[in-house]
Amino acid sequence: MSSTASQQAKSVRSEGALTLAASGLRKTYGPTVALEKADISLTSGQVHALLGENGAGKSTLVRILAGAVQPDAGEMYLDGTPYRPTSLMDARGRAVATAFQELSLVPNLTVAQNFLLPDLPKRRGGMVSARATSEAGKEWLAKYELDWIDPSATVGSLPLADRQRIEIARALKNAGRVLILDEPTASLAETSWLFKQIKKTTDRGVGVLYISHRLSEVREICMQATVLRNGASIASVALSDASDGDIFEMMVGHRAAHKRVVRDTKVEATRPPRLRANGLCGTDLRDVTFELRPGEVLGVAGLEGQGQHELFRLLAGLAKPNGGQIEVDGKPVKMTGPRKALKSGSGIAYLPEERKTEGILGGLSAATNIVLPFMPRIAASTLISPGMETKAARAAAQRVDMSERYLSFDIADLSGGNQQKALIARTLGTGAQTLLLFDPSRGVDVGTKQSIYAAIRKFADEGGSVLFYSSELPEIVQLADRCMVLYGSRVFRSFTGQELSEQNLVAAMLGHGRDEHDKGPVA
Amino acid sequence: MTTSSKAPSSHPDFTKNADSRGSAKISRETISAISVAVLCLVLLFGARFINPALGSWSQVETVLILGFFLVVLSFGQGLVILTGGLDLSLPATITLGGILATSWAGTGDAAQWFILPAVLAVCGAVGLLSAIGVIWLRVPPFIMTMAMSIIVASALLGYTRGTPRGYAPDVAVALMKSDVLGLPTPIVALVIFVLTGWLFQSRSVFGRYIYAVGTNVDAARNAGVPVIATQTIPYVISAICGGFVGIALVGYSSGATLRMGDDYLLPSIAAVVIGGSSILGGRGTFLGTVGGALLLTVLGTIISALGLEFGLRTIVEGSIILIALLLLREELFQKLRSFGK
Amino acid sequence: MSTANTQAPINPLGQWLSRYATGAVLIVIIYAALYTVYAVQQPRALTSYSIAALMNNTAPLALAAVGQAIIVISRGFDLSVAGVISICNVTLAVYPLEGPGGAATSVAICLAIGAVVGLVNGYLVAILKIQSIAATLATMIICQGIALVILKAPGGYVAEWITYEMTDRVWQVIPVSGLVVGAVVLIWLALKRSIWGISLYAIGADETSAALSGINTLRVRFLAHVLAGCAYGLAGFMLSAQTATGNPTSGTPLLMLSFAAVALGGTSLAGGRGGLFATVMGAATLTLLQKVLFSSGISSFYTGVFQGVVLILAVVFCGLLARLGDDR
Repeated sequence: MSSTASQQAKSVRSEGALTLAASGLRKTYGPTVALEKADISLTSGQVHALLGENGAGKSTLVRILAGAVQPDAGEMYLDGTPYRPTSLMDARGRAVATAFQELSLVPNLTVAQNFLLPDLPKRRGGMVSARATSEAGKEWLAKYELDWIDPSATVGSLPLADRQRIEIARALKNAGRVLILDEPTASLAETSWLFKQIKKTTDRGVGVLYISHRLSEVREICMQATVLRNGASIASVALSDASDGDIFEMMVGHRAAHKRVVRDTKVEATRPPRLRANGLCGTDLRDVTFELRPGEVLGVAGLEGQGQHELFRLLAGLAKPNGGQIEVDGKPVKMTGPRKALKSGSGIAYLPEERKTEGILGGLSAATNIVLPFMPRIAASTLISPGMETKAARAAAQRVDMSERYLSFDIADLSGGNQQKALIARTLGTGAQTLLLFDPSRGVDVGTKQSIYAAIRKFADEGGSVLFYSSELPEIVQLADRCMVLYGSRVFRSFTGQELSEQNLVAAMLGHGRDEHDKGPVA
Repeated sequence: MTTSSKAPSSHPDFTKNADSRGSAKISRETISAISVAVLCLVLLFGARFINPALGSWSQVETVLILGFFLVVLSFGQGLVILTGGLDLSLPATITLGGILATSWAGTGDAAQWFILPAVLAVCGAVGLLSAIGVIWLRVPPFIMTMAMSIIVASALLGYTRGTPRGYAPDVAVALMKSDVLGLPTPIVALVIFVLTGWLFQSRSVFGRYIYAVGTNVDAARNAGVPVIATQTIPYVISAICGGFVGIALVGYSSGATLRMGDDYLLPSIAAVVIGGSSILGGRGTFLGTVGGALLLTVLGTIISALGLEFGLRTIVEGSIILIALLLLREELFQKLRSFGK
Repeated sequence: MSTANTQAPINPLGQWLSRYATGAVLIVIIYAALYTVYAVQQPRALTSYSIAALMNNTAPLALAAVGQAIIVISRGFDLSVAGVISICNVTLAVYPLEGPGGAATSVAICLAIGAVVGLVNGYLVAILKIQSIAATLATMIICQGIALVILKAPGGYVAEWITYEMTDRVWQVIPVSGLVVGAVVLIWLALKRSIWGISLYAIGADETSAALSGINTLRVRFLAHVLAGCAYGLAGFMLSAQTATGNPTSGTPLLMLSFAAVALGGTSLAGGRGGLFATVMGAATLTLLQKVLFSSGISSFYTGVFQGVVLILAVVFCGLLARLGDDR
């Protein structure tokens, strides 16, 4: 089979023919139509982008192509022969491999074991040889330029970015014909490694499907794009022919996608700061001092692993500082948790980083999820009904432009964008005057982003204070009045006004452009 | 390739489907509760065909009185399971309640009214110790409550020197053997208890906190839920429920034994599971649990009335739990929906 | 982005402790300390006769805990252990088969009983996806019923050859029961390094990822239940050899104790971590503790208080060491 596949690959490469062609794919879960009618075709040796809002059906399409889910209708061809994978391994047998967004690595196994599963090198007697496994893993890691990763290290002990790289490398290894990358840059701050590996793969004649929310990345590496909306493929376009505006319009329909609003700073310098950190230290953080004033939106920028995670956890009381002080409304507070934060002074509400594992409570309705922190306020002598919850959640949901009809749904059934809206509605609904938002628009679509930005701005205009971290610089430039850049566990620089530009931020994030960063290759 | 004109026509369909997804999810739990309730009634009145003595009103009364014990126990057990824990100390707290009630009543000098709150307070303290072990010492709930069970049982053995004495306090006898408005008091108490338990679990702020903590502790903490209190109180409630049942059992059978609680542990867990709760926490309703508890009680009554030998009775009981599990599993509901068309 | 908390500097001593001290080594130290106490109380404790007697007492629990640990590592609970042991015990007491041939047949019968129950559990848990604790609760109750049907009340005699030979010592030194447990641990050490073994730990830690990595989770879980069932069958065999009589509820006390042994051996009830040697040592510690308490002259009424407290302390201690390693 491999010889014919390679012959085909050769002929295919010369013609630029299709590797994978799918048409009319449909998938329903009970009454829910996850995918209505999707067509997609990948060209050998090219990177093809899949674009769409959250809930547009991208994940379902990826799962079908990857073999994890079987379609109810539709046809798929791989190199001209019918392709109907019944499992992930079946797809892998046809040289189709996928790197999943939520990572499919087993945390308590080693890097090498994860790489080689389900077949590990055996000694006589059927026992697995730990040494041979490790050596094979080391070779693979070297092949994909990940030499600094120890093949015998337990995956769970590695930083998220390394785990993502391993997930991608494993897919690269198994992708003889088709490589599917679902949000491969979600935890990667820079793309040079990834793009280099993709280039090597396409040179072999592999067709790549690339799913990302970051249009600039997509433009950099993809030639063609298919846009999904509401479970159907809307169009397949050459990216060189389509402007950002065109693509946004295809993704969201008629809505205007990008509106830049320059905010008049209404920061009240005279009043005491809502939140003040004084020489705050943690295990990853040294001597962080800042003030957050009423009406101010303060951004935090930094490459991965600069202590931003810990900064927010310290401020929310989820981690204990090794030194320094947190003051709320001018009074020192010993933060013991998000509940304490909510009750300190004028209140601090926290939006955690990981929506699925730290944010939403799946199984409970969206309304319950929204009103949970302020439930005692809306209850009638500690009793509460779903009706009361929905009523109270409605006001908060309106502030983030979240449709009312979703409130009675199990939040786990909502799209990522609506989940995020619900979580932001929750922080707004608490009545807290300070918001700590960690990556508030992470992994959400353009439309949701705009609603979230609008809600944050309105909150600040009304005198609220916001501290937010974002991995996307345009977001910081658009939204923040002021920005702190974390580098080397410290606040490296701060920018305000005209100085707050993407170029300046990038320079500061790299420590003034000096390229002396630790292990990972840095752009 | 597809053109953009096709999409808008499919849009309304898509949203409509998304809507029914929400309602289907809600109805799953309702389906479980209703099917368990229907099964109960069918069994209860269908049994008439096996033996005319079954299915009579007095039979129903017996089932409800016996069911009262299990409903109270599985309420506490259900709350603990909802937080993601498990209470294996129920046999010990039942026995603790029973033995303390009889021996304190036996001393004669203590005022009788005082016994009920005092016994429940002691049991609550046992629950508090379990909670401290689980939350502060981070002992797995399974191990912590099992250890508490061994400790309390052994302490009771020492306290009674192996032979429980005393007699049932008046308050216990009054609870189990009197009538209110022409109905036996335990049945009235059952109705009040089910109503209160439902309000607490499904319609109170604290109930919501329990669901939140059971679903995801980290997310609940981030949402400002008082996590420690929410994890602690179910253990205390469960222990108090155990103690209360101990007192009630003493009132029902007029005496306490050192093993009086042993037969209630597995049924209390089974009732919660049959009622459609997830043993991993975060999902389940009290009404489902009540259905599960009554179903188990009905079964026990019918099986013993059939005159089967003990071993066969046990096999039938286990098989019916298994059948209930097979019928109520989530997979089946999903399959019915996806293959139904 | 979220690397901050995972990149915390690791305390080397803590790491060393967490790697070696939480598992087998710690429980061996505890066992040795307890044995020292026992030897001081009872000078005869060091004779090979006493050691063999202790080993005989330990074997049933150790084997039951081995089966339980396999299921716990795969992130499950198995209550059917009590039922399998009871069925095996009453079968051996009602149908005694004499001689070495009879013993071999008996072992085969016990393994078969365990395997059949394991098959049922595996089908319910792996294929039908019923929560393991609920599914095995049902099979346990059914098994207990079957045991009661086979033998209504305690009684009957286990074959003399089994009760004598299985509790004897080889060359007057090595207890046979110890050899049986040792053989099971050796088989486990081989299995642990097979693809099945690695997959078992993988599905215990993260079943979804394991499936996405190409592991056949159904087969791994299925086989885990069958193997666990075989271990319970062997436990039932060894229990019968020790008690020499049948009791339809003989497995019940081992249910809770098997979990206690697993926890004491440092196997995480959350799945994906732990080992069988440590579990066996956990079982041995629990058995020894009973002896020590008895010979300390503590009123037998209060033995349970000490057992419970020791269990809690041991688990807390293991947890503290594990957390020291994680440096949190």
